[in-house]
Amino acid sequence: MSLSNLVDDWSRYRKGREEGGFHDYEHMWGMSIDLNKCIGCNACSVACYAENNLAVVGKEKFEKGQGMHWLRLERYWDEPDLGEERTTEFQQHGASFLPMMCQQCNAATCEPVCPVAATYHTPDGLNAQVYNRCIGSRYCSNNCPYRLRYFNFWSFYEDSWPAPLQMQLNPDITVRDKGVMEKCTFCVQRIRTVKDKARMEDRKVRDGEVQTACSQTCPTGAIEFGDMLGMYDPETGVAETKVTKMWRKHQVELGKAKQNKQTPDMRGYRVFEFLNTDPCVMYLDRVREV
Amino acid sequence: MGWSGVGATLVGCDMPSTVTIEEGKEEVVSYLVPEEYVIPGVGVWYASTCQQCPSGCGIHGRVREGRVLKLEGNPESSVNKGRLCQMGQAGLQAHYNPDRISKPQIRRGTSLVDATWEEAYGLIAEKTANISGSKFAWMTGSVSGHQSVLLQAYLESIGSGNHFVHETINNAIWAKVSQDMLGDSNPRIRLDKAQSVLSFGADFLGTWGSPLHFSTEYAKFRTSPRGTLIQVEPNMTLTGANADLWVASKPGTEGALALGIANQLVTKLGLSMSGLPNSVQSLIRAATIDETVTATGVDAERIADIAATLKRRSPSVVLAGASAQGHEHGYQSVAAAMVLNIILGNIGETIESNGEFAYAGMVPVSGNTQSLVAFSQAAADKRYDVAFFAGVNPVYTAPESLGLKENMANIPFKVVFSHFNDETTAMADVVLPLASGEEDWGTHVAPYQAGVGEISIQQPLMEPLSKDTRGFGDILLTLLKKRKESAYEGFADYYAYLRNAFATIPAEHKNGADDDQFWANVLSAGLLDVGVKAKSLKVKGVAFNMPKDLGNSSDMVLAPSARMGFWDGRHANLPWLQEAPDQISKVVWDSWAELHPSTAKKIGVKEGDMVKIASASGEINVKVYIYKGVHPDVVAVPLGQGHDAGFSRYAKDRGVNSLSILDPKVDKMTGELALYSTNVKVTKAAKTDDILVRFGGSETQIGRKLVSTVPADVYERTEGGDHVA
Repeated sequence: MSLSNLVDDWSRYRKGREEGGFHDYEHMWGMSIDLNKCIGCNACSVACYAENNLAVVGKEKFEKGQGMHWLRLERYWDEPDLGEERTTEFQQHGASFLPMMCQQCNAATCEPVCPVAATYHTPDGLNAQVYNRCIGSRYCSNNCPYRLRYFNFWSFYEDSWPAPLQMQLNPDITVRDKGVMEKCTFCVQRIRTVKDKARMEDRKVRDGEVQTACSQTCPTGAIEFGDMLGMYDPETGVAETKVTKMWRKHQVELGKAKQNKQTPDMRGYRVFEFLNTDPCVMYLDRVREV
Repeated sequence: MGWSGVGATLVGCDMPSTVTIEEGKEEVVSYLVPEEYVIPGVGVWYASTCQQCPSGCGIHGRVREGRVLKLEGNPESSVNKGRLCQMGQAGLQAHYNPDRISKPQIRRGTSLVDATWEEAYGLIAEKTANISGSKFAWMTGSVSGHQSVLLQAYLESIGSGNHFVHETINNAIWAKVSQDMLGDSNPRIRLDKAQSVLSFGADFLGTWGSPLHFSTEYAKFRTSPRGTLIQVEPNMTLTGANADLWVASKPGTEGALALGIANQLVTKLGLSMSGLPNSVQSLIRAATIDETVTATGVDAERIADIAATLKRRSPSVVLAGASAQGHEHGYQSVAAAMVLNIILGNIGETIESNGEFAYAGMVPVSGNTQSLVAFSQAAADKRYDVAFFAGVNPVYTAPESLGLKENMANIPFKVVFSHFNDETTAMADVVLPLASGEEDWGTHVAPYQAGVGEISIQQPLMEPLSKDTRGFGDILLTLLKKRKESAYEGFADYYAYLRNAFATIPAEHKNGADDDQFWANVLSAGLLDVGVKAKSLKVKGVAFNMPKDLGNSSDMVLAPSARMGFWDGRHANLPWLQEAPDQISKVVWDSWAELHPSTAKKIGVKEGDMVKIASASGEINVKVYIYKGVHPDVVAVPLGQGHDAGFSRYAKDRGVNSLSILDPKVDKMTGELALYSTNVKVTKAAKTDDILVRFGGSETQIGRKLVSTVPADVYERTEGGDHVA
C-alpha cells in the first residue's frame, strides 16, 4: 500500500507537471509572505503554539535543537543583496526577518523517503503527516532542505501542560507522542472546519474563509493564505484568490525550478526553488532605502 | 456559564448563530439535552478585551465545551483591527497558568496562609474602618473604564487622593511634552500619512504607545509610496530592526542630535523656526554641525542626510520613546524631538488630535515611574498605614536603590490583588486572588485610540477555574459596599453594576434598541463607540534648555530595554513567551547582555561568556550576546527575567533583572525615573555551567537567498501605485 501510494503521488505530480496543471487537486493551499511588511514580532509563531498544541520543551532540550516551533521566525544580520561590503560599524539597515513554516512543497523531498508513507500529498495540495503511521525513522526530516520537520524525542504531554494548562489544548487536533515526526499543517483543522461547513451549506469554500492561525494574527497582514487554484466567487465573478493574484503579480509560477520573469525586479521568490521542491510559499523581497 | 441572562449574537468563523438564555431561569437538566449554546465539537467566539498590556486590544476567544482555547483579535476594534501580538496570544497561559493563586492569603507571623474571603474582607474592613484619607494609598497599573470609576469612588469613600499609577513601560514624558507644546497629552500619530518617520528610541512596533495599532498602521506606511523609517537609539529595538537606517546613539545625546537636525533644516534647507520661543531658536542656532558631531558622535554627513530625508519625504513624523526620555534631561530630549515636528510642519498633518473622550470618569489613567519614586518616598516618610496594590509588581520593577522594599516595611497593612505570587505579594499582609482576564467582567477605554471613543468590553470566556478567585470589579464593589452600603446595595455583583451602567447610557448610543437588545449588541460586538469631542492641536512655544554635559563619563551606560514579550517582567511566567526566541538576540529562557563587538573585544569576552555589570547601586552577572546593533558605550540587558523564586516555575532561577541595579536618578522636569542613565563598569566574570541558549545556527545568510532585499526605488518602480491589498 505504501509503495502504491508513493508511486501514485509521484506519478500524479509528474502528470501535473507534464500537462501543465494540477487538475485533479481539490484545492492547493498556498501563501504569499511580504517581507516588506513582516516586522519579526513573533506573533505568528506563538499563535501557532496556541492553535496546534505545540509542546514547550524547556531550555535544555531547546539547546539540543528539539524545540517544536512549527513556524519559526529566523533573523539574519547583514544583507549581501544590498551590494555593500559589510564592514560598517553598525547594523545600519536593521535585521532580516523570515517566518519559516513548512513550505508545503509540491515535489516534497520528504515524501518519497518515508518508508511507511506517513508523509504524503493530500488532494488539498498539502504535505500531510499521518502521525499514527509514523515510525520515527526521521528520514523525512533529514531530507527536508528547510529543516521544517520536528521530531518528538520525548513525551511532552506531562511536562508541557501541567494542570490546568492542558485545558487549553485544541481538541480538533492531537497531542503528538514520543517517536513521531510533526510539522506545520497549514492549520488543516481550520481548513477541515470550513470545508465541512461549506459542504453543509452546499456551496464552495470562499476566498479568505480559511485563515491559518499565523496569517490571522499577523499584526501587519504580511502573511496571505489561500487557494492556489483560484476560487470562483459567484458574486464578483472572479476566479482569482488574493494569493493567486499575488503570485501572478510577482510572476512566480508553480512547477518551475527557475522563474522566467518578464519583469525580473518583481519581488516574488521561493526559498531554495532551484532544488525543484516546488514550494507553495512565495516570499516577497524585503525592501530597504539605501 | 457564569453570565446567564446574556443574549448574544455569537461571532466567529466556526458557526455563527444566535442564542438566548432566559433571564434568571435555572433548571437541572441532563446533558442529554445539551445547553443550546454548547454544541459539542463546535467552537463559538465571544468578544472580550485583552489584559496582557495596557493597550486595550479587542479580542475574540474561541470557546468549546466550556473551555477557552484560542484568542484572536477583534476585527471591529479600532485598536488592533483583528490582530494580536504574542503577549495577547499567550493570555491563555496566564489564565490556565499552573501557578495561579486560588485562595486569599493572610499573613500569620512571617508566612502567608490560606484564608477565606470573609476573613480577608473582615481584616480589610477592620484596618480601614477609621483610617484618615491621607493614611491610605493605592498603587495600580494603568486603569480605565468602570473599574476606574469604582476605584475612584473607593478612594473618595476613604477621603484619599493617594492614587499611584505605575507602569515601567510608559510614554509619560512624551505625554507631558505633547501636553505642554500641543495642548494634548495623547496626540494621534498618522503613520499611514507619513512619508518618513524619525524615531528617537520610540519602539512603536514593540512597546511604545499602542504597538499593535501602530503595527497595523506601519503596514500602510510601508505600502507604496513607501515611507522611510530612521531609528536612533542606543540598542536595537524591534522597530530599529525594521528601520531603513538605524543609527546608534550615545544615551542622552538624542536631544542634541534632534537640535542638530533642526539646525540643518533651518540653516541649510530653508525651513522656518519662527513661532518657537527665542531661547529654543538660539538653542537650534547653537547646535551647529560641528557642535552636534562633537556632542553625539554621529557623522556630519549622516546628520545632514537625515535632515534632507525628512524634508524630502514630507510629511514626516518625529517620535521619542524610552531611550530618549530615560535621562535627567529626558524632558528636554523629547521636547527637542517635538520641536522637529513643529519645524517640519507635521502638526496638523501627521500629528493630530485624538479628540476628547466623553465620560471623564472612564478616561484611562496611564501609569508612569514618577509615581513609583513618590510612593517609595512617602512610604519612607511613614505616611501610610494601609496600602493597596493591584496590577503592579513594584517590588520587582523598582530599582533597589529606591529602597522601596525596605520602605514598604513602614506600611503596617498591605493588601495585594494578584493572579500570582510575586515579589510584591511576598510582602503583603493580605493577598486577594484575582479572576483571570478570561474570567472577569470589565470595561476598558484604550489609552490610544485613533480618533474614536470605543469602550471595549471584557466578558468572561469561561467559568472561573477556581471558585475562590474574584473579579477586580467584584472586589471593588464589595469593598465599596462595606463603606457605603446605600449607594451600591442595588448591585448584586459587578456584572449587575455594568449592566445598569449600560442601561443608563444616553439613548443616542443605543441605536433604537431596547436595554436587553442593546446589551446583547454590545457584548456581541465587544465594544461600543461613544465618539469623541473634536479637538485641535495648538502649538505653544515652550522654552527649555539642553544641558552642556551629556554624561560623557568614561563608564558604560546600562540600557534596560523593554521587549514585546516579557514586557516589564510580568509575562516571564508564560512558557510560550519563555520559549519564543527574543526578536533581536534570539535568546530563549534567559537574560543576556548585548555588547558591541569592539566592546566585547576590549573586555575580552565571547558570546555566552559571563560579564559582571556593576553600577553604584548594585551588580548583576549575565551572559553576553555580541552584535552590531548596540552602541559601543552601551550594555543593554532587556527586561523580564530575574524574578524571585515565588513568581512561577517558569521564571524561577532565570536570568537577571536589570532594573534592580539602576541608580535612583530622575528626569528633573517630570520626576520620571531616568532608566537609561546609569553608568556601569562591565568586566569579565567567571563562566558558569549555565549556558546561553539561542535559536538559530547562523547569524548571517551565508550567501543563501533566504531573505532577499531590494532597494526601495526598485519597489516603487515595480509596485508603486497598484499594490494588491
